[in-house]
Amino acid sequence: MAVLEISDLIAAWDPGTGARQPIAVADVTGRLRAAGDHRAARIVERMPATSGVLEPESVDRLLVRVHTELQRLAEELHMAERFVELLRPMLDAARSAGFRRLRVVDIGCGIGYVIRWLATTRVLGADVELLGVDQNPVLIAEASRLALDEGLPCGFACADAFALAEDATVYISSGVLHHFPVDELGDFFRAQDRPGTAGFIHYDIAATRLAPAGAWVFHRARMRELLGRHDGVNSARRAHGDRTLVTAAGQVGTMDIFLFAPIRHTNPFCAAMRPVVGIRPELSPALRRLLGRRARALHGTDDPVPSLRAAT
Amino acid sequence: MHAGQFDHVAVPVALAAVALVDAAFAGFRAATGRNARIEKRRYNLRAAVRGLAIGAASLAVVAAVLGIGLLGTHDAGHAYDALVQAGHRMLMVLMPFAAAVVVSLAGYWLLPMRESTFVILVGLGPFTLARPLVVLAAAALALHDSHRWLVWAGTLLASGGVLLVEPWVHRRWYHEPL
Ligand SMILES: C[S@@+](CC[C@H](N)C(=O)[O-])C[C@H]1O[C@@H](n2cnc3c(N)ncnc32)[C@H](O)[C@@H]1O
Repeated sequence: MAVLEISDLIAAWDPGTGARQPIAVADVTGRLRAAGDHRAARIVERMPATSGVLEPESVDRLLVRVHTELQRLAEELHMAERFVELLRPMLDAARSAGFRRLRVVDIGCGIGYVIRWLATTRVLGADVELLGVDQNPVLIAEASRLALDEGLPCGFACADAFALAEDATVYISSGVLHHFPVDELGDFFRAQDRPGTAGFIHYDIAATRLAPAGAWVFHRARMRELLGRHDGVNSARRAHGDRTLVTAAGQVGTMDIFLFAPIRHTNPFCAAMRPVVGIRPELSPALRRLLGRRARALHGTDDPVPSLRAAT
Repeated sequence: MHAGQFDHVAVPVALAAVALVDAAFAGFRAATGRNARIEKRRYNLRAAVRGLAIGAASLAVVAAVLGIGLLGTHDAGHAYDALVQAGHRMLMVLMPFAAAVVVSLAGYWLLPMRESTFVILVGLGPFTLARPLVVLAAAALALHDSHRWLVWAGTLLASGGVLLVEPWVHRRWYHEPL
């Protein structure tokens, strides 16, 4: 049975015009009940609606609240530092190969925590442009507001992950892969196969057996919003297995694909989040050299992580 | 068991210290997830101070009730002894938990990021969920076999106060996101 997240169902925009689409409560609860998720249906039923249609303003406020709570989780899990660990050597490899105008684009950035953190600390260097994109204009507006408030050198824009207008030297994402069904993953990765792109780093919840229980405890302890708690557990339940991700990313064809998982830390309590990494083959040796000892954490398709699980 | 001279001072001081430190963290937790700015040291500090203030106010209420109760009883010495013994039993539950939290916090701040994540997932996260149960267990042990109303009043007021700091600070100052 499909595992659904409420946040995917309560807001939609016309991909062509960008116009907000009305969402009927009955449609959402019907889908959730059909998936056997009665608890989620009850959460949606309690949301403000007018004539059976969800009130967009309260949906927006809720999603901003949930993403603000989500940022707290990302802070605690050191998500920004995790990106820096790989971004810095990847950008250095690109620099030494003659890439100019370096740019990092965070796909599905939500309220832009990682991009704003990178902008605050400037750890990647002054020559790196930072941009966050998300299909949800309300989250993008919030990300922009926060960046303006703190005077941060970064930008945000609305964009669909499958039709990116934004070129990047490195594409990154966190907690986004599980929002797409397996048969869309190939398109997601292919959208990032651009002439000026050196590689990508996509973090998502590691699909271990313990992940749903861990997510329950962690979200229950740290989030107040019922929607956030619900979606957090379902994210862990629908997270793609390692092999699925590596295979889908491999469809790009023009990049070396790895899973980055330090062997000492493959236990599910340390590897709550782990990334799929893609890099142009000509940059691969430089990345390994720059990673030093940590390069041993790069596992290719034929060199799987011990805990690498079969396609889910 | 008789409470010794040392315990007469050490037990209430230890309980008050644990309650105040806990209140500061409760204030911090009440404010989390409400501010998505990157730089929020001052925001967090202010929330901790608010928690501390509410915790201190609640302690003052407990102290006042116990003080008035002791003044109004004919066997103040025995009553104080009974309170110290109840406090001692509370500490037997609270101290190991506090020690585990301190070790986890040190681990979270000092260890590399993956080990630090480990500490969050097996330590600090579950500890937040366990905290009310630990307070209830401490209260239950304190009340065990005690028939004095002062012990009951002190234990229930103190435990209730500890558990109320976080929701109170949250409702009062952080109900609406920034
Ligand atoms: C779980 S949130 C993660 C947000 C953020 N990366 C973080 O880690 O806090 C998933 C995000 O992906 C965005 N998203 C989902 N599908 C998308 C698509 N097709 N294109 C762009 N963004 C998308 C959602 O709007 C949402 O903000």
